[in-house]
Amino acid sequence: MKIRKILIANRGEIAIRIMKTARRMKIRTVAVKTAVEPLAMYLSFADEIFDNSEDTSEIPVFLDIEKLIAIALETGANALHPGYGFLAENAYFAQKCIDNRITFIGPSPDAIYKMGNKTIARKLALQNGIPMAMGSEGNIANEEEAVAIASKIGYPVIIKAASGGGGRGMRIVRKAEEMEKMFFIASKEAEKAFKDPSVFIEKYIENPKHIEFQILGDAKGNIIHLGERECSIQRKHQKLLEEAPSCALDEGLRKKMGKMAVLIAKAVNYHSAGTVEFLLDSEKNFYFMEMNTRIQVEHPVTEIVTGIDLIEQQIRIAGGEELKFGQDDVKISGWAIECRINAEDVQAGFAPDPGKIEKLSMPDDPYVRVDTGIREGSAIVANYDSMIAKLIVSGKDRREAITNCKMALDKVWIKGTKTTLPFFRLLVRNQDFQDGNFTTAFIEKDLDKYYYNSEYEEMLAAWLATKLFVEENLQEDSINLDFGNGKEMSPWLFNKRMNQF
Amino acid sequence: MNDKLQIKKLYALSSENRKFSFSVPLNNKIRIGKREYIVQLKSDDKFGTYILWKNRKYPVEIVRSRQNKYEILFNDISYTFTVETPFSLQRMKVLNSKKGKVEQELVRAPMPGRLIDVLVREGSTIMRGEALVILEAMKMQNEIQSPVNGKIIKVHAKTNTNVMKDDVLVEIKVE
Repeated sequence: MKIRKILIANRGEIAIRIMKTARRMKIRTVAVKTAVEPLAMYLSFADEIFDNSEDTSEIPVFLDIEKLIAIALETGANALHPGYGFLAENAYFAQKCIDNRITFIGPSPDAIYKMGNKTIARKLALQNGIPMAMGSEGNIANEEEAVAIASKIGYPVIIKAASGGGGRGMRIVRKAEEMEKMFFIASKEAEKAFKDPSVFIEKYIENPKHIEFQILGDAKGNIIHLGERECSIQRKHQKLLEEAPSCALDEGLRKKMGKMAVLIAKAVNYHSAGTVEFLLDSEKNFYFMEMNTRIQVEHPVTEIVTGIDLIEQQIRIAGGEELKFGQDDVKISGWAIECRINAEDVQAGFAPDPGKIEKLSMPDDPYVRVDTGIREGSAIVANYDSMIAKLIVSGKDRREAITNCKMALDKVWIKGTKTTLPFFRLLVRNQDFQDGNFTTAFIEKDLDKYYYNSEYEEMLAAWLATKLFVEENLQEDSINLDFGNGKEMSPWLFNKRMNQF
Repeated sequence: MNDKLQIKKLYALSSENRKFSFSVPLNNKIRIGKREYIVQLKSDDKFGTYILWKNRKYPVEIVRSRQNKYEILFNDISYTFTVETPFSLQRMKVLNSKKGKVEQELVRAPMPGRLIDVLVREGSTIMRGEALVILEAMKMQNEIQSPVNGKIIKVHAKTNTNVMKDDVLVEIKVE
């Protein structure tokens, strides 16, 4: 079916990302306006806006299957792009779209279901000879069963949500005594996030690298990979920085892992863009972890090193087109790094720091790509994730990409919330990171500090504090100090005074 | 004029006990080695408030100021200082030598959210890094861990209640 108009069932930077490509392909787009973000930036990229801001329903519209179908039908959208998160990996939703003659821009409901259920995915991988970590046969009923299996495969083990992804519902257990608590937390988190409390257990691979392969498949059964992404820089199982390619792989290993990734995709007749995630241990053994049946946050690094627009491919494939290139046509050139600039407090263990973005300016150098859904005045709201922008930097090789990244990070200017910028400034200067010597445990184990400040920054901050004190306590024309009269002073007043300075 | 005193120097003490001294009247020149550099505090529409130092702009924000205590956000990193005069610094030293170190630790909510689980009881002994409560915020369940070894003296946190940022969750006697 020819795609004429796409309903964007998402918000933020990914909504904008999809609409940019759609516009280039001369396909109309519909965005949904919500009460939470009625002035959001993504709305200005749509050809049409469906106003849902009067909706008082408890569930956000991007999770409301019936509502989204109704909006697509009402606006005459004959296709729907789910983006990532929300309903992107909901097989029922994909099926509902098909039932209503709306093209779902993504894989088949069957593929989503099979890969979404980690116990089924494990079985499929096993049948296809894909290397995997040892684990439970299926889901685990309670912590007693968990303890029994863990003692069989040996600690440490990891509890994972059967319907999981994105790090939620995941807990590492190092000894039997921790099992009860961790089982409870993982299962509770899984229920909350995925409406399915079932969990399973796997042998926990110590200090692995997280390597994933980008897959593209069409409806005719052609499946290829677009190389790997290195996503080991994570905290709480959530990715912070991604690269393509990975310096841990040589051509031989890339071929081997890529072949396995294609094989697992073939097992579910995969079409559209997808990602096969592996863990790579220090001996370069790799283990299938899961397949994500959506476009991913970190897709731009692959786009940069392959020159392929993944959203365009998703749209073409959904419209029934065959892939115009084969495995041998895919060439990886250069290096790309993506930093996820989130509204988080790195000095407080990466705790979310929602708030209004007062000032925002991003570098516009030729080696920088910025994907964002935030502009000055936008708010990072607690309802959604904490992403402000993705800073994607390229170079001819890894070294140049890191150097460019260092420069670009110093040009990013954000005021209003704390951000992950000081963390990235530290990372690009870290010797182990520069040498490619890092695993998924890097942030928690190998760093004793999560931020970078140059030699004089603390001193300058001290000068500013002293200046404030002087403004507040010492009279203009004397050097006398009025003791005991410490007053509270509003930063606003300070700013006003400083403007005259 | 008894409570007015001549001040020639001010000290900014960081929360990690680093001391930065500045002469009064405070000027905008900072000496490093043999050279003096000019530090300027500026503000405009494009950048907001910033410090200009060696031709580079650094974003600054005053997060909090209370009496002589200031929390400054400088280039996305927060610093807390108390500004002391030579006299108050002297007084502090005397007080500190009498008092010894801080004995009680208040664990506060790092962000607003909902308490999913409280894992400690009053009276229980706790090791540094051990989980105290599970706080759900922005779709993540966050383990709030003990910053110290000690004994729980009071638990303010209640399961299935909402907390604001900086609400005290647990009081720990440092051991």
